[in-house]
Formats: sequence, structure tokens, C-alpha cells
Amino acid sequence: MVATITIERAGPLTSIQDAGRFGHLADGISASGPMDIAAFHRAGLLAGSGGQAGIEFSMLGLDLRVDDGTLSAGWDGGHFDIFLNDTPLTWPGQAELRPGDRLRIGPAKAGNYGYLRFGGEIDVPEIMGSRSTSLRAKLGGLDGRALTSGDRLQIFGSGAEPQIMAPLVREDGPIRFIWGLHVEVFPTDLRQKFVTETFRITSMMDRMGVRLKDEAGVFADSQILSLVSDPVICGDIQILGDGTPIVLGRDHQPTGGYPRIGTIISADLDRFFQLRPNASVTFQSVGLDHAQALLRSGTQ
Amino acid sequence: MLQPLGDSALLVRFGSHLDEAANSRAIAFAQAAQAQPIDGVVEIVPSLVSVLIRYNPIISRYQDIAGTVRLLLGRTQFSADGREWRLPIRFGGEHGADLDEVAGLLKMSAEAFIAYHNANPLRVLATGFAPGFVYCGFHPDTLILPRRNSVRPLVKAGSVLFAAGQTAIAATDVPTGWHVIGHTAFSNFDPKAVPPTQLKAGDRLIFEAV
Repeated sequence: MVATITIERAGPLTSIQDAGRFGHLADGISASGPMDIAAFHRAGLLAGSGGQAGIEFSMLGLDLRVDDGTLSAGWDGGHFDIFLNDTPLTWPGQAELRPGDRLRIGPAKAGNYGYLRFGGEIDVPEIMGSRSTSLRAKLGGLDGRALTSGDRLQIFGSGAEPQIMAPLVREDGPIRFIWGLHVEVFPTDLRQKFVTETFRITSMMDRMGVRLKDEAGVFADSQILSLVSDPVICGDIQILGDGTPIVLGRDHQPTGGYPRIGTIISADLDRFFQLRPNASVTFQSVGLDHAQALLRSGTQ
Repeated sequence: MLQPLGDSALLVRFGSHLDEAANSRAIAFAQAAQAQPIDGVVEIVPSLVSVLIRYNPIISRYQDIAGTVRLLLGRTQFSADGREWRLPIRFGGEHGADLDEVAGLLKMSAEAFIAYHNANPLRVLATGFAPGFVYCGFHPDTLILPRRNSVRPLVKAGSVLFAAGQTAIAATDVPTGWHVIGHTAFSNFDPKAVPPTQLKAGDRLIFEAV
């Protein structure tokens, strides 16, 4: 079973992602993968996906049409208006798409990233074991680039029975982190301010990293030297030379030489990456055991 | 020496600044760790003076991984292996726009610079900055220059770069503030190959002017 879709409109940073291309940091390639992993997974269940890959789209949404074939689709992540032809559907949700159908996903009302997945697999080659697009390394997905209007994708195979589930409810609250590699670089009073002051998400965000606005000037006067470069991971909170905090994303650089005050815990990464520009954010330190217990219990 | 890095990785550090001893120990330890599978460990990545160990926190606790890593540290011989490679380099001219300037700053002729540069093999100190990108060192004190004042937004794959007592080789198009001294036809990145990169940390490179 093969279906063909054409992208009629894509916002910036729309890309094909699967679970990620892990194991290649020494080759100079970070894993990529969905910015909001839980939403990506849920979209797959809603589609009854038998495939590994899906489409990640950004705040401006996505329009596509089905050229031929039928396919099931599921969507989740953030909150978007979605229309099948002219009929509004629920978000998150699912539908069976037929030739000639148009799916229109409007601008996000909440969150930065949404996911569209299908019953079958997106027909792009596996590169180094993954279909994820690395916009940094310019590989994977469709020719290593973001999707754009006019792109045609084939979806082959079919999946399982779509699953229906209640929308994911995420609690607000501080973003939890573990004190970082270079915490000793930062004086005690500065560390205290880091967990009491409020930061703001800026529009300088992409899959590689999210810059924060340090309105309280927590890092304004800190004398920050660059360090010998070490491996970095997704969620690391780096402080640039001018005092700007930046949280590294799924397409992060594999190594870096800026001091890292902390690393956001895995359980809070999806929620952090969905915070929109201008949203305020506070940080709360937690212990490693607590962070790992959250992962084992599957709570977010 | 061991530090958690988030909830799914730890870093083993062998120094806080880059020198031969810290770099060699990091590479040797990464090789020892890679040779011996550790339950729960999913990736081991050597860097300039440290080794990243990623593990699956669903099945392994930090304390368990750290305990195994400490035992391995105690047993490691710290003698790094490496393959030897001969790399043909076209120095200067259209291949290395900054060669003459680099030689001038070091107060020598371009020919003398090339001879000094190639006199001894260099070790691959680290990979990972970009696909297939390698940092190699160390040059003697007579061959140390800082980076350029400005960053070139893009140099082409194969560019041979020079700064900070090191020579680096770009395997993809990258931005760089390093001096471009030459170009090699050797390609260290092929996404369709297994493994996709050939040069590993600890390998020895012999540079040959062609």
C-alpha cells in the first residue's frame, strides 16, 4: 500500500524525524529526533503507525494534500487548529485520508512543535540508521533539509489499529535541572539567583538551541572564560561569553567550550522545548536520583 | 574525575586544560571502555580531555555505571592505540589561501613552514566538532599562532586548518576562524559508509605535500 502526499505549505524548520540517530557523536553528528518526544510518540499511536518517522512542524503549521492512496494520520504536540478539507477536527486527533483530501494545520495556539504521523513509513532513506533530519549536519530526512511547499512524500505500508487516548496534560511549574559540569565556575550567590530569578524564552530558538533572556541580569557581570571543549548533550544550559544562557536542543553541536551551569532533566525537555517565545521560565534543581526515578516511572 | 552530565550520561575528565597527558589518557580510556561492553552503556565518546559515557537510565543507575567506570579506570593501562595514515595535502595557493600569511607571521618562508609542519606525525586529538572533522596536534612552540580575527562563514570540505598549535581537517563545509593552509582529497566523512568516518582519536597522521 503506497500513498503520495504533497506539502502545500510548510513553516520554517518543518522536518522529517524519527526517534533519532544515536551513537554518532564521535563522528560529529548529534542525534536529532523530535523536540517533543512524548507528543511524537502519541501522534504515532493515534495514527496506528507501523513506521518510525513522522513530520515535525513548527508554529506556523502545515498544509498538505493527498495525491493518491489512502492513509491513516494522527497528530499531537502543542495545540493547533486542524481542518480536513473544511471540517474542523480535534487536536490531538486522527483521521483516515483519501485521494484529494487536504489537511490544513493552522498556526499554533500553544506550543512550538506539532507532529503528523501516518499508518505507514515515510519513504526516505535511512542514513546512518535513522530517517531523522539533522539540519546541522545537513543529512537524513528529505535530502538533509527542511520540508518546503511542493515536496512530495510517499508513505508505504500500513500500520496497526489507531489508538484513541485522552490529551496529554502537562503541569506547569519550574523546569527541573541537575547542577552542571562547571557549576564551580559560578559563585554561590549567582547559583542562588539562577534558581530564584525568572528567565524568558526568546524568539532565537531552533532545533539546535533556545536562547534565554536574562532579565534579572543573573549572568550580566559574571566573568566567563571559555573552557577546553567537552562533549555536550541536549538540555545543557550553556552560558555564552556575553552572559546569554542557551539551552541546547536535539540538533545540538556535539562539543562545546562554554561553561554549563546545569542540564535540564530528560523528563522536562519536551515541556521546555514547547515553551513559546516570551514565556517566562524558572529553574529548580533536583537530584540525579529523583530525575532518574521520574524517567523510570514515566511521569513528566 | 567522574561527573554526572544530566540524567543519562557521565563525563570522565582527565584534566581541565588541554595537554598531551590529559588527551592521551582520555583517548586510551575511551578505547579501553569501548573494548569492554558495560551493561546499560549506549555510547562512549572521547573528547580533548574527557570521555562522555551515555547510558540508559531506565535500566541503569548512575551509581552502578560510575562504579563500573571506576573499576575500569583502575585497570586501564593508558596506552592508546592508533592507526597510521598518510594524507596528501595541497598546500597554499587556491588550496590554502592563508599559507603565506601564516608563514610570514611565523617569520619563515612558505616552503620552510610546510617542511616544519610535515616534519613529525600528528595525533588525532579529538573528533566530533562537525561530521568527520578532526583536531590534530601538537605542533612545537615554534608553530603556534592564534586564530584569525574574523570567521570565514564557509570553507570547503577537505580544508586543512591551522591555529592554536594544531592542524584540523574539515570533512564537510564548515565556518572557521582558523587559517586555511591547504586542502586534502582524503574524505573523512561518507554517510553511506559503515563506519561513516575513518579517522579516530589517537590515530597518527603523516602529512605529505603533493
